[in-house]
Amino acid sequence: MKLDARRDPAAGDTRNDHDLVYAARDGDTIAFDALFYRYRDGIFRLGLAITKDPSAAEEIVVDTFARAHRALARLEPDASLRPWLYRVAVNLSYNRRPRKGLVLSSLDDAVDEAVANEDGSPSHVAEQAELRRFVLAAVDQLGPKHRLVVMLHYLNGLNLTEIAEVVDCPVGTVKSRLHYALRRLRTHLAAHPELGIEPSRPLIATALRAPKPIAAPVPLEGE
Amino acid sequence: MKLFSRGCESRQAAYLVGADRLGARERIELEAHAASCAECADALRNGRPVDVALRGAFAPLRERRTMIAPGRVRLAVGPRSAAATNSWLRAPRFFGRLAEVSVMVGVTLFAVTTSLDPSPQPSSLTPTQSVVREYFRAQPPLGDIDYVRWLRLVKADASSTVSDSTRLPMGGRFDYDPVEYATGPGATPR
Repeated sequence: MKLDARRDPAAGDTRNDHDLVYAARDGDTIAFDALFYRYRDGIFRLGLAITKDPSAAEEIVVDTFARAHRALARLEPDASLRPWLYRVAVNLSYNRRPRKGLVLSSLDDAVDEAVANEDGSPSHVAEQAELRRFVLAAVDQLGPKHRLVVMLHYLNGLNLTEIAEVVDCPVGTVKSRLHYALRRLRTHLAAHPELGIEPSRPLIATALRAPKPIAAPVPLEGE
Repeated sequence: MKLFSRGCESRQAAYLVGADRLGARERIELEAHAASCAECADALRNGRPVDVALRGAFAPLRERRTMIAPGRVRLAVGPRSAAATNSWLRAPRFFGRLAEVSVMVGVTLFAVTTSLDPSPQPSSLTPTQSVVREYFRAQPPLGDIDYVRWLRLVKADASSTVSDSTRLPMGGRFDYDPVEYATGPGATPR
């Protein structure tokens, strides 16, 4: 972003999305560029997480903003354009998902690239990379709806309300999906000893171990 | 019969402590509930490491960036949409098209109207049939010379019309003087 700000004044635009959309509607290209610089990385990461293909993720960024440009006259953002853009990006990403049997570079490669830049002993770096790969593999095993909620929250940093806007469902449904996803992940991640997660016990077992509430003894009849 | 236990209703909240932004009061209430509920205590205890593991795993990916320039979007959108935003830029094209259409309609109308046969229209200049005028026209003119001319014309018209109808005597006489032909031997040329 700093590099972009040096090259392009639009990257450092501090106006909110509402003002930028209205300015872009009047033909202000700098305002539209400012929106582009603000959200392009997030959309790229989301597209990369779903398609696992960097070039496809870049095309998703371009297509998303092309759609936004065409829809400028209809857009009415309250404060942030992010949920609308992410919803378009999610739809485009699922349309471009790789077919079965087609192996593309996964998120693991991105992890490797990121970890390679970290400082520390080689063994520590390798351990960290292995741990991250393990967690991401567990995320990949989730269903598409649950994986999307996890990615939107942990990768893109959206809160539950924003996720609800992106996936177009109530906040309660988002909470339920995230809860289910975390429970499933707990089951998977418990296999790794370094994470320190206990395996989930069956519900009956936990219910039996539950501390019974202290209650006054019920007097028997005739006492 | 298979029974599905719903479990404690606060378990979801215990798992989502990291994701959902609970207030301080709600958090205290949840922890107080977890003290008496093993299920929620388990969720609270193990939900946090899962949350930390996910944040750690996604942390390097959050740093991932792209270097796409906004020019690619403009290229994808095309130059036409830039012109479409300003209605004044569309005016010359609109008027040009309007002129084309008017010329086309004019030429078509001209071709259609000239190809049709002119139908006989009742002219307003044609005098209407008048009995009075016909009567006065049938009367002889008052001047001498005009009268002679008229008489000759009337006679010529009468002679040109040959009637094959049977002539009948009217009151012992023919309706006009019969021409006498000199056929006898005493007839001599003048």
